[in-house]
Amino acid sequence: MTQQLQFVMLAGAVALLGLIFFFLKKGYMSVKYSLLWLGLSVLLVIFAACPYVVYVLRDILDIQMPVNLVFLLMFCFVLVVLLSLSIAISQLAEKCKRLAQTNALLEKRVRELEKQETNKQ
Amino acid sequence: MKDSAKILVLVPCYNEEENIVATIERLKATCPGVDFLVINDCSTDSSPALLKNHGYPYLDLPINLGIGGGVQCGYQYARDNGYDVAVQMDGDGQHDPRYLFHVVDPVLQGQYDMCIGSRFIQKEGFQTSFMRRVGIRFLSGLIRLLCGKQVLDVTSGFRAANSRMIEYFSRHYASDYPEPEAILSASLSGFRVGEVPVVMQERQGGMSSISTFKSAYYMIKVSLALIIDRFSIRKVKEAAQ
Repeated sequence: MTQQLQFVMLAGAVALLGLIFFFLKKGYMSVKYSLLWLGLSVLLVIFAACPYVVYVLRDILDIQMPVNLVFLLMFCFVLVVLLSLSIAISQLAEKCKRLAQTNALLEKRVRELEKQETNKQ
Repeated sequence: MKDSAKILVLVPCYNEEENIVATIERLKATCPGVDFLVINDCSTDSSPALLKNHGYPYLDLPINLGIGGGVQCGYQYARDNGYDVAVQMDGDGQHDPRYLFHVVDPVLQGQYDMCIGSRFIQKEGFQTSFMRRVGIRFLSGLIRLLCGKQVLDVTSGFRAANSRMIEYFSRHYASDYPEPEAILSASLSGFRVGEVPVVMQERQGGMSSISTFKSAYYMIKVSLALIIDRFSIRKVKEAAQ
């Protein structure tokens, strides 16, 4: 790996890590959903800082180009993040449904109570 | 029994301004002793105003949940208010209230936990299009394969449920296209499901919720959901009949 490529990759990985910290600090992202992203960016920083890890892994998995291993790992990681997001959305939809139903039941009770009140007066 | 039992008719309503008043008036005229509840699933037309002006009891969902979430809300209402039987009846005038007690009686007499009004037993009245019948037959076969229960009209929304079934549906009810799934999950959970012949009419006005374009999606989604239900719900032995 050339020096330039290593520098760019390191800068990119650190920027990603910084961006996630920024989102966390601003409250745009909750810690729960940031964990996977933090894991990914820390891994990228490690890969960029000491490419030796990548070379060893490449030899173990017998992949020709070290960078392909990085792509493969990143792709798997993104897949996991996307799956976790689908799960999160499904759970939110279920919670949202329960909330709407409870709201509708309460709204009917309130409406009827208000009607009783006005009838009394 | 018929006089003392508390019966609630659930009428899901999404943009049914053309039909809803006629449907409710017909229900009130045909079955005067029966309570009813319209579930307004965040309609965007004048349906909510019509419900309010006519003084009908209704639930107003703040967001559109689709037929499943809306009907489930109705079951929760029935559970909270101690109803013995809840009957689902479409708001588009397809279901004739004259047949209400045909569907309710088997549940009141304890023959079934859920009783479905079927248009395919005596094959009278509106029979829907050929392609839909093919689809319904396929889903019916799939349900029979998955739980051994033979139901002909699996997509019929005209169905009565007893208090145990109401309690179950208020907790477990599919969201998108719930009718076939409800049959399977109820059967697998040990409830007795059956059907009785009714005559249905073509919808009086407005548009059906399932367009031609959506039918393929409907079939795939429902088939997959049924297969997944088969694996996720532990089969309970059917109670002694």
